[in-house]
Amino acid sequence: MADDVIKVKDLVKVYGELRAVDGITFDIEKGEVFAFLGPNGAGKTTTVEMIETLRTPTSGTIEILGLDIKKDRTEILKRIGVLPQEFSSFDRLTVEETIKYYADLFSADCDVDSLIALVNLDEHRKQLYMNLSGGLKQRVGIAVSLVNDPEIVFLDEPTTGLDPRARHDVWNVISGLRDEGKTIFLTTHYMEEAEVLADYIAIISKGKIIAYGTTNELIDKHFKTINVTIKGGGEGVVQIAKGMGMPIKSTENGNITVEASGNDQIVEFLNNLKSKNIRYTSMDIRKPNLEELFLVLTGEELITQGSDAE
Amino acid sequence: MNFKRVIANLVVHLRQFSREKSTIFFVLMFPILLMLLFGFIFQDTGSNMGDLHIQDLDGGVHSTALVAAFNGTSIFDIVEVDASADSNEFFADNKLNVMIIIPEGYSDALNMRLFNQTNPQSNITILYDQGNSYSQQKISIVTSVIDSMNKGLSGSVDFIGLDYETQLNDDFKFIDFFAPGIIAMSVMSSALFGTVGMNTELRQKGILKKLATTPLTRSEWLASNILYQMFMAMLSTACILAIGIGIFGLQPHINIYMFLFILLNVFAFAGIGMLITRFVKEAESAQAAANAVMFPMMFLSGTFFQMEMMPDFLQTIAKFLPLYYVNEGLRAAMISLDMDIILESAIIIGIFGLAVFILGVFLTSWKED
Repeated sequence: MADDVIKVKDLVKVYGELRAVDGITFDIEKGEVFAFLGPNGAGKTTTVEMIETLRTPTSGTIEILGLDIKKDRTEILKRIGVLPQEFSSFDRLTVEETIKYYADLFSADCDVDSLIALVNLDEHRKQLYMNLSGGLKQRVGIAVSLVNDPEIVFLDEPTTGLDPRARHDVWNVISGLRDEGKTIFLTTHYMEEAEVLADYIAIISKGKIIAYGTTNELIDKHFKTINVTIKGGGEGVVQIAKGMGMPIKSTENGNITVEASGNDQIVEFLNNLKSKNIRYTSMDIRKPNLEELFLVLTGEELITQGSDAE
Repeated sequence: MNFKRVIANLVVHLRQFSREKSTIFFVLMFPILLMLLFGFIFQDTGSNMGDLHIQDLDGGVHSTALVAAFNGTSIFDIVEVDASADSNEFFADNKLNVMIIIPEGYSDALNMRLFNQTNPQSNITILYDQGNSYSQQKISIVTSVIDSMNKGLSGSVDFIGLDYETQLNDDFKFIDFFAPGIIAMSVMSSALFGTVGMNTELRQKGILKKLATTPLTRSEWLASNILYQMFMAMLSTACILAIGIGIFGLQPHINIYMFLFILLNVFAFAGIGMLITRFVKEAESAQAAANAVMFPMMFLSGTFFQMEMMPDFLQTIAKFLPLYYVNEGLRAAMISLDMDIILESAIIIGIFGLAVFILGVFLTSWKED
């Protein structure tokens, strides 16, 4: 497509015996938020670092903004912004000195004040980097990745290791970038992050893309059913579901989850509960999420607890 | 090379340094301690270098005057050797390092020379132990004494001949000899370890990876590192000189050549530091590698030990070590002002430093594997 700003074709990276990236192909359109979702060690960072020109592919081609990563490295670097995984900066520079420094490296005439405002760091501009919390440091990193007003912004695990509050703050900043029309390449192992931020999602496992599309497309494609979870309904719920031929997915802590084939079956199921006078404390009806999708596709848990890096 | 980017980096390094009080303390502590240590060790040797044995076979007016002149320096305790003793046997039996022999006819010959300058100069013999470094120091001073006597006798023409040339000043002190070595040594270690430490730290923190995604080039990064280390070198040199001059009465020549050798020293060893961090990525191994570079330099390049003390093969190895030429050059610049040595040493280290820089630019890359 004419508007593709990143074109990756048959990308392979081999380390000794390990095929870290094993024949990946995808395109990203201008203005799109693209999430690369996968567990630690799936090949996310290796792939994104090849696109950022930091690593040399074993084979395959990468084109960024119509430029070849091998031939036009310098030109590409001027037009992309990168937040590397586990971003860190000079301990004893203040927030504004840090942003100014990176702007100087790009010889960029950037408006430090508006960048600081964009990432909500006004109160902290005179603070040394070393004294900032993890979330604030990541926001400095995002500001730094924007000093050259890049056309594409790469954010490699921007919220790994952050507490939920800080994570949401970073998400707000990223949403702001999306609203400005930046193309964003996000790598993450948080399903929720991809669901909240991304237009398109590629799920990567063992160096291969195993699913690609919008969140809804992916769910719809792989799950024809809807999960209904009844809390506090007791054994009667199971009886009714069995009577209707609905598969029981789980019965944990008094939460009974059954699989409905569609809306009609849900209505019928609820009516049956009512007619049998079964009382319950709460009910939840939803499509399976990316987490479950990942489990179905790979048989692996998506999040291997914690923030250990790839 | 974009000069603005080099300066931007330099400013970052300087800010980082100036805001870290413990770094400032330790960076300056090392040269200060070294200088204090060696200053106190060699403080007394400047005024008294121990015994000097003189055998006067002549017994004439001039030989007596010469012995008196040596006595008058108060640098040596003069021990007169009986004229009947066999010089070589006495030297060996008493395990001397230097002995001066005033041959028979010395006074007559000197008179002839004084009378008519076409007559040959009157020679004295210096018997010395070549394997002993201390003898070199003594000879230097003997030479100085003879030199000043010559000047006293005539002002320009040498009446008393020696096979040795004057290398040191009349008011030479041992600390003068060691100060250039200490400067060379501490500048080398701060450039080497400073570069290795900074680059491994920045690599571990992922800052190098971030820098790799900017238009900053390797040569710009290398250049700003070297400039920063040059600043650090000037700081430690200033400390050493201040202590040397203030406490130990050091009297060095401070000239452009001295600065030249300090800067060349940084250039070469900061470059080596960059190469080490390219090939040894773990912080601890990189430190070990830097130590492996530093220790041979420290001990073989004539910083602490006299070259003459070492076996021949080690002396030959020393000639291949860059710090040897820094030492030679700095000593020449700060003490003897021997232009031949200054020029030769500067060219050798300059070429070495340039080669390291070029290797650094070509071999090191921002890219990961």
